[in-house]
Amino acid sequence: MKFSYRQHLLRVTLLLIGVLPLQGFCQQIIQGQVSDPQELPIPGVNIQIQGTNRGTTSNFDGEYQMVARPQDTLVYTYMGYVSQKVAVGEQTLINIQLQENENSLGDLVINAGYYKVKDKERTGNIAKITAKEIELQPLVSPLQALQGRMAGVEISTGSDTPGAAPTIRIRGQNSLRREGNYPLYIIDGVPINSTPVESNSSLGFAGIDPLSTMNLSNIESIEVLKDADATAIYGSRGANGVILITTKKGKGQKGVQARIYSGVSTVPNKLDLLSTQQYLKVRRQAFTNDGVEPDEFNAYDLLLWDQTRETDWQEEFLGGTAHITDVNVSAQGGSDRTHFRLNGAFHQQGTIYPADLQYQKFTGGAHLDHSSKDERFQLGLAINYGVDQNELLGNSVDFNTNAFRLPPNAPALYLEDGSLNWEEWGEAGLNNPLEGIFNSSTTRAHNLITSLNLSYEIAKGLELKTNFGFTDFNSDEVVKMPQRSYNPAGMPLHRSLNTQSRRQSWIIEPQLNYQHQWGKLNLHALVGSTLQENQYDTFSVQGENYVAESLIGNLGAAESLINAQARNTQYRYQAVFARLGLNWDQKYYLNLTGRRDGSSRFAQGNRFANFGAIGAAWIFTQEAFFKEQVAWLSFGKFRGSYGTTGSDQIPDYGYLDAYEATPGPGGLYPTALANPQYSWEVNKKAEVAIQLGFLKDRISLGVSAYRNRSSNQLVGYPLPATTGFNSVQANLPATVENKGWEVEFSSENIRKGNFRWQTSFNISFPKNKLISYPGLEQSPYANTYREGHPLNIALLYEYTGIDPETGYYTVKDQNEDGVFNPEDQVIIQDRTREYFGGINNSLSYKGISLQFLVQFVKQEGSFTSLFNSGFPENQLQEFSSTSATHHQISQTPEASLAYSRVVESDLVIEDASFIRLKTLNLSYSLPADWITPLGISQVKFFMTGQNLWTLTDYRGMDPDTPIGGLAFSGLRTFTSGLQVNF
Amino acid sequence: MKNKKYIQGLGIILVLLLLTSCQEWLEIEEPDHKLVSSEVFDTEETAKAAMQGIYNQLYQASFSAGWLGSTTVLAGLSADNLELINTNTLDLLQFQQHNLQPDNPYNETLWGSAYNMIYMVNSLLGGLQKSTKISVETAQRLEGEAKFVRAFTYFYLRNLYGEVPLVLTTDYEFNATIEVSSITAIEEQILADLAVATSQLGDIYLTGERTQINAYTAKALLARVHLYLENWELAEQYSAEVIAASGTYSLSTDLNEVFLANSQEAIWQLSPLGAGTMTTHTNEGSVFIINPFLPSLSYVKLSEGLVNSMEAQDLRKSNWIGYHEDLGVYHAYKYKIQNATGEAAEYSMVLRLAEQYLIRAEARTRQNNLTGGIADLDHIKARAGLPLLSVSNPGISQEALLEELFIERRKELFTEWGHRWLDLKRTDRAQGVLAPMSPNWEATDEKYPIPAEELLSNPNLYQNPGY
Repeated sequence: MKFSYRQHLLRVTLLLIGVLPLQGFCQQIIQGQVSDPQELPIPGVNIQIQGTNRGTTSNFDGEYQMVARPQDTLVYTYMGYVSQKVAVGEQTLINIQLQENENSLGDLVINAGYYKVKDKERTGNIAKITAKEIELQPLVSPLQALQGRMAGVEISTGSDTPGAAPTIRIRGQNSLRREGNYPLYIIDGVPINSTPVESNSSLGFAGIDPLSTMNLSNIESIEVLKDADATAIYGSRGANGVILITTKKGKGQKGVQARIYSGVSTVPNKLDLLSTQQYLKVRRQAFTNDGVEPDEFNAYDLLLWDQTRETDWQEEFLGGTAHITDVNVSAQGGSDRTHFRLNGAFHQQGTIYPADLQYQKFTGGAHLDHSSKDERFQLGLAINYGVDQNELLGNSVDFNTNAFRLPPNAPALYLEDGSLNWEEWGEAGLNNPLEGIFNSSTTRAHNLITSLNLSYEIAKGLELKTNFGFTDFNSDEVVKMPQRSYNPAGMPLHRSLNTQSRRQSWIIEPQLNYQHQWGKLNLHALVGSTLQENQYDTFSVQGENYVAESLIGNLGAAESLINAQARNTQYRYQAVFARLGLNWDQKYYLNLTGRRDGSSRFAQGNRFANFGAIGAAWIFTQEAFFKEQVAWLSFGKFRGSYGTTGSDQIPDYGYLDAYEATPGPGGLYPTALANPQYSWEVNKKAEVAIQLGFLKDRISLGVSAYRNRSSNQLVGYPLPATTGFNSVQANLPATVENKGWEVEFSSENIRKGNFRWQTSFNISFPKNKLISYPGLEQSPYANTYREGHPLNIALLYEYTGIDPETGYYTVKDQNEDGVFNPEDQVIIQDRTREYFGGINNSLSYKGISLQFLVQFVKQEGSFTSLFNSGFPENQLQEFSSTSATHHQISQTPEASLAYSRVVESDLVIEDASFIRLKTLNLSYSLPADWITPLGISQVKFFMTGQNLWTLTDYRGMDPDTPIGGLAFSGLRTFTSGLQVNF
Repeated sequence: MKNKKYIQGLGIILVLLLLTSCQEWLEIEEPDHKLVSSEVFDTEETAKAAMQGIYNQLYQASFSAGWLGSTTVLAGLSADNLELINTNTLDLLQFQQHNLQPDNPYNETLWGSAYNMIYMVNSLLGGLQKSTKISVETAQRLEGEAKFVRAFTYFYLRNLYGEVPLVLTTDYEFNATIEVSSITAIEEQILADLAVATSQLGDIYLTGERTQINAYTAKALLARVHLYLENWELAEQYSAEVIAASGTYSLSTDLNEVFLANSQEAIWQLSPLGAGTMTTHTNEGSVFIINPFLPSLSYVKLSEGLVNSMEAQDLRKSNWIGYHEDLGVYHAYKYKIQNATGEAAEYSMVLRLAEQYLIRAEARTRQNNLTGGIADLDHIKARAGLPLLSVSNPGISQEALLEELFIERRKELFTEWGHRWLDLKRTDRAQGVLAPMSPNWEATDEKYPIPAEELLSNPNLYQNPGY
């Protein structure tokens, strides 16, 4: 049975061949026009045959044409209008007038992954954003577009570099391991490895976003599954939530859309640092205070360097402007049973750093949908392909730190001929801080994501569906390290670091769907199974001693190749899953989901586990009492869910006790400790929620309370070095709880004539807590975590003011043992966000529309930089003299020790809450009567801005990265563009 | 009716599909880059490769690599031989100024790299023990070599930290909460491992390279261990055995040839090839020789005290010490190559014959065999171009001779594996020598602190006094 998946494949293929011969039914052509109550045509109305995916869209004159059977029912839907159903019968001309819908929830359909559910009827917690909100944003990663728009979803960009993986947490941190907290990404039904791709570039730790090759304009919707009811069907992969990305499909209506925008990005903030005169004064003061005679070693900036030189290093390193250009073209069309959509896009983005670096991406996609004459057979094919080329700095240069720390009179970094200035820096005993600047990293990635969906209606209500997916991600990174990048003292050679990664996966998910109505009881049942295989290969090698700089990277030209490393890992996964959805009279809903999972990441005996959830909802406004008595309440639902999910996000083969090749020749050595015992992390989720609609649903409000508990924590358990290594994979008897409240509110404030104003608001109050950890005191985490406190804490000394004798900072020696160690760090600072959310406003009047999103976060951060006065590094203006909270200017080892302690004390805690105008979009569409004669259906001008304005008391660069104070994430970006639809 | 058949057929297929979700599907192949431990010891070739891995990693492991974090540099700074050129490297300055903090990163890697080495040895020993497919001959040899490395590593752990955990298995659950062993237990283990090595290893270098451990390597270390234990008789006996192997070992007459690869004086060396890079110079060469391009980037210099202790005519002063005009500093110049690629001309020296003469000289002197002691010491003096003691002062007292030996060791063995630091400690001279020159000096500074991280993760460990 080693190759049993082949047999599976065979079975599925046979099965598909079996369903292909399709029988015809009597069909007729239906045509008509859709109009609004003022008898004006409505273009773009979705007309679908009930119970199928088949349908069409009305054209610009509201007209449509399609094929249907007499027994079919047509459903007409359009945002903002009440849906209508019409039985076809003998009619061939069906003109429809749609009534405006006051109900903003509408009949919004939510994708729950394996099934779809109406927003009103869902029993789980699923948040959704649509193309409208994301497609114009000048971002590389689609997930960044979610920032501030969804309750319970916390996204931090992590880097200002395009292509860097953002960090996303859905309802907080569940796993003690940082890398165990990625949500599951699913694109058009195909799971994508959400672990960032390793990089040797300046992206460093963040890694490359595996979604960076997606085209934002090509995304129809992003759904985020949060609670047990929604995620349990994903079993062992659902613990951290699921992100479903659906790409745009053809809708049958012919059309071409072209869009172009371009703009600029700059660094959003600048710190107020000392000028040369101020800096030198502080430095001289240090020698006076310390009573030390300045010499060339300890006072190079005073004795060797130019005393009048002044460089604004922030301007030098971060003052650049990055240019962005984006072109996007899509076309769709087809016949009544076959729809297609094609798209192509190009995105280019520069850098703010003083280097010529470009990020470029080309994406192309095709979507094809087909249904047989009798509607019983449906096919959907989605192909998304992206190529990007990311030029980055090699990993050795840190502009962000140097920009703030370098003394303002530091010598020039470059000589006139463009080479690095080693000598002047060397005289001071320093390396040129730009060592490595000529190292370039170029990463080319290809990403193919395809999915094929086939379904066949075997009998009424019974449908067999199979989803095939294939993904192929290739990335090829070359880091070129020319000699001139390095200090000649080290006798550098021309070197290169070549890395190739390949991630391939395929998945097959056959499913059987059954739907039936017995009187008032409606039943949806689903059973399915999954077979998945991932192959992950990396190869890296260093080329050394190239003859010439121009040859670097061409491995054939290297004198020798060293440190060659090839890694091939395989991951297999299989599961069976089922769902049973029941509803009685559209009032009472019950949803049962379950999954049995097996994963090759665990050793035998620990490979399988079961997960499941129950969800229920009661739409109480359907009860007669409410209908009659509480008319202002147009919609009301209670819902709740409880269930378990798991996480197998751990390295492959972790259980194997194995040797690897040593870097030196001919040797083998053990590289890690092995533990065959470990098993799944279990995440139990509970949620209750209420959803209300007022004034015919013009106002809607959803409040959810959740509690997720992760136990059996699977971590790289830190070990003392006496074990030979620093950690081993093991399950910890610890429980992490994430609970909180989420409020989502939306209202249509004004709707008068052509003017419309909508507001949506979300806020989340997350609480993260390590609720139990038996034996924490004796465990290696004794000084990292505290029971009863969040995971994200800092353990700090208690600041006790400035020693009047020495003038240095002091912190309290709590146990008075004369030693400052973790036992004295008794102040616990919670670094979790207290609350966060966003307010989005959309206003439109005729062709003008304005949308702006304000993001807000309440949190505490720390500022631990730029006040080490006396040492040869720059600092904030406000610390240029000794004050009540700033210690004596000095550079003695004692001062250094005092400083190193105080940055770990509560002195550095500061409020890092902020309110930020995250995005602003302004667009204007030309009136239809100007352009219709030209055969153009829409001309839209638009402007967008990102991170335009921030209100905060935080002294560091960016409160969105509130630790330390020097990091920043989002750049300030302005773009403007034009969109034309034909 | 046709439909019904379909349904039945499809239903059966689907059910089959769901049920055949078999265990075997999850059996994945081992990855190409890993070799399961048990398989490593299934063939002689791979078992030998595991030992080669230990040799290679000795050149990677911080404590033994000869670079900044090595015993050679750190213990050199703690003693009075080495000083920092640039005092801005605060973490290193802590060693020099004897205010070592328990969270010092160099101290952490010194400790951690030594225990990682011990894990490798224990893993190899465990694998050999379970294996049935390796010839007795090979198994014995590999066991001998591995046990030597374990003894060697514990020798330094014991002498740098005092009481340390004695880890002899790969069982991490046990080792994670292990307590320290007594000095006696550690010393007994070192002797036991070396006994296995001496009895199971042959007298020749099998590969022709002096990077491999043989019986003499083990005896040379045994001589040193017994010297430290003040077992003078045994120290004399083992050093004599090594010195007697004159066909293999002899003092290089030219001081500039001592540290060449496979020099006739070498008893055990580490090959720089273990680094797995293009460069083939030794780390010692790279760290001690002043960088010819940017001198100010160099880290360490020789102390005036060491340089001044040598007479002008001492050939070691002219051959093993360099002077850099611009910086005005003396540097170790035992290794001549600062940076090189291509064939490795120098290897990193671990054990050499000169030390054996000094061991025997001391052991004989302690046993009141002053003539013997003088004779051995004169071998070293003669090579250094110094007047022989047998001529200049044949009637020297035992005490004076021991003092003479103590000084000679400093001059001969400086910047090699922290000899001076360990000599100061074992002869109880640390306080007397270091207290006057180091204001921070306290008696407790003789032991390095157990790294702070270790105390955090192992509740059964306690800090050395004074930290």
